[in-house]
Amino acid sequence: MAAQLWWIVHKDLVSECRTWRVWPAMLLFGLVVAFVFGVQADLPPDQRPQIAGGLLWLAIFFAGMQAVDHSCAAEREEGCWDGLLLYPISPAAIYLAKLAVNAIALAALECLLIPAFAALADVPLMSHPGAMLLVALLGNVGICAVGTLLSGLVAGVRHGGSLLVLIVLPLVIPVVLAAAEATRLAAEGQLGPEWWRWVHLLAAFAAIFVTAGATLFDFVIRD
Amino acid sequence: MPRTADLLGPSKERPGDNLGTVPIFAQRKWDCPPLGCRIIPDVLTGSLVAAGLLAISLLAPTEKTMGDAQRILYVHVAAAWCGLAGFLIVAASGLLYLLRRDLGWDHWAQAAAEIAWLSCGLTLVTGSLWAHAAWNTWWTWEPRLAATAILWAVSSGYLIVRSGVEDPHRRARAGAVLALVGAADIPLVIMATRWFRGIHPVSPQMEPAMRVALLLSIVAFSAFFGLLLVRRRGQLRLERLLGAMEREADG
Amino acid sequence: MSDRTIAVQASRLTKVFGSRVVLRDVDLEAAEGEIVVLTGANGAGKTTLLRCLASLTRPTSGDVHWFGRPAGAEPAARRLVGMVPHQSCIYPHLTVRENVVFAARMQGLREAGRRADEWIAAAGLRPYAHRLATHLSRGMRRRVALARALVHDPPIVLMDEPFAGLDAEAAAWLVDLLAEFRGRSRVVCLATHDPDRLRSLAGRVFHLQSGRIEPPEPRRVVATGHDPGESLAA
Repeated sequence: MAAQLWWIVHKDLVSECRTWRVWPAMLLFGLVVAFVFGVQADLPPDQRPQIAGGLLWLAIFFAGMQAVDHSCAAEREEGCWDGLLLYPISPAAIYLAKLAVNAIALAALECLLIPAFAALADVPLMSHPGAMLLVALLGNVGICAVGTLLSGLVAGVRHGGSLLVLIVLPLVIPVVLAAAEATRLAAEGQLGPEWWRWVHLLAAFAAIFVTAGATLFDFVIRD
Repeated sequence: MPRTADLLGPSKERPGDNLGTVPIFAQRKWDCPPLGCRIIPDVLTGSLVAAGLLAISLLAPTEKTMGDAQRILYVHVAAAWCGLAGFLIVAASGLLYLLRRDLGWDHWAQAAAEIAWLSCGLTLVTGSLWAHAAWNTWWTWEPRLAATAILWAVSSGYLIVRSGVEDPHRRARAGAVLALVGAADIPLVIMATRWFRGIHPVSPQMEPAMRVALLLSIVAFSAFFGLLLVRRRGQLRLERLLGAMEREADG
Repeated sequence: MSDRTIAVQASRLTKVFGSRVVLRDVDLEAAEGEIVVLTGANGAGKTTLLRCLASLTRPTSGDVHWFGRPAGAEPAARRLVGMVPHQSCIYPHLTVRENVVFAARMQGLREAGRRADEWIAAAGLRPYAHRLATHLSRGMRRRVALARALVHDPPIVLMDEPFAGLDAEAAAWLVDLLAEFRGRSRVVCLATHDPDRLRSLAGRVFHLQSGRIEPPEPRRVVATGHDPGESLAA
């Protein structure tokens, strides 16, 4: 199964690198949102970390949904979903592969957005890179766990593309909230029990929804 | 193809068991339930609602700080309870559909989702009115109110997604998945907003008469929305039955 | 049918999409070494029947078995089936070789590259092996789809309109391939609008109409190479 997972991830990444259909638009959208938010975050320096985390994660979410939406929608071209389902691989494994592709896309986005936010809002987001890395990893998995499952769901729905953000955002509010708070605390250098509490919430969310997604994906993609 | 008889429910059903459904015809011997059986639930529910309204307006004393505006609370709490219970029914029915592949469960899910959406909307409106009367603000990020807002958004998404799928089984599957994910999410939302606000739950101090009024209000609302749920589920079941009969007639 | 193993069996298959009944109580059996042809007008249910046989679509009622086991019960059992669906199922932004190698890897084949190259050569695609699939004609994509579906040499082969878009040379290659399958006890079930092309090969021809399967046409005795007198006619 691990080999099959890897080959699906490899296939998606090769396709994206050849066509650049989604990532450039996603990165540009994230930068524009970061710029707009950066303008809004013109507060005294001690107050900026309080809102920078929330604005950063909202930007990551809205930009990242473009990649998440595409990951399942692209398989509908030429009937490739049928092709995937014909292979000796479980739907859960397909889900995990798509989740990995989406998490990688969000990671690429964060490599650009976090430094951009740090510069535009003048907030020391990179002061504790290890902590930011952990928060980013868990936040990515949490958002992509729900987004991947529901992108498969709306792929067959009328006007599904525009529905994805509508149905994912309410569900990932705990992730956005927890990631924003953990980011704020990391930027302020407060990596104590409160920071760990938010990280534990992120981890719990990721664990619960990766499990739910792997279990329910079969019902989403198979008639 | 599924026969009409297969859609009519298990043969152990007796007339009047399925309160509120339309009498069955065609391939089964089914006596139309007596008029009394059909209107008893309506009469009971109407009585409870009347009792609840009386309790809210007459039994409950006037709160000394907020005055009569405090009475919104009785509607707000009851609607919130119905919204949460409704969504739990949606999730449970969705799970049962996925396990049994019986569209009957999906009818319960759709009916409950509509009730939950209405209840959550009512909760938000009454909560907003109460907050304005109490704190001169139209909104507060109190964790339960935030969770209700998210529940309303999830219910809205549920109904919109369902409306975009034509095939009944595909629609039922999509709805079930969304409902299960939503139901798993609500405890996390409450936890996150409580930690964010640093709020710990405190039981409000209420006089005995207020508690009685609140309890009656909850029972009345539950009965009303329960009746709506059963009636709506009956409508959906009848729609499916009629569709099956049309298919049989077309051959 | 003699003591041949029943490879594919569908019992009382029914499929309803919304208010449309697409398949009604369909029974079908296909044994090893048999080529079963499905014909019928557009909308008769051929594609849905093949999708149910491939376990791509769950039937509303009835069941499908592969060599006596419930179809698609375990992911590993999917190695028994190779399907060429109506759409090509190839990734437009991968090359021909990458598409077939991907299929071989997903099927768990050890020498995925070598097997893919063999099928690419057999399908006459060697000159196009490093061309992106999006730059291929419809007929070429069909050949790639065939190579992709058959790279793991499955015992059960399902094809939906396999000749669509193929030129004369490719069509002749496919007919030879089907004869090869029959000789090697593979079972083939294919839907086509042109059954005449396969008159010399087909064991039975089923005609679907309005989701129901008509009684099979009796075919002439088909020589199997094992027992010349054996008839595959129902």
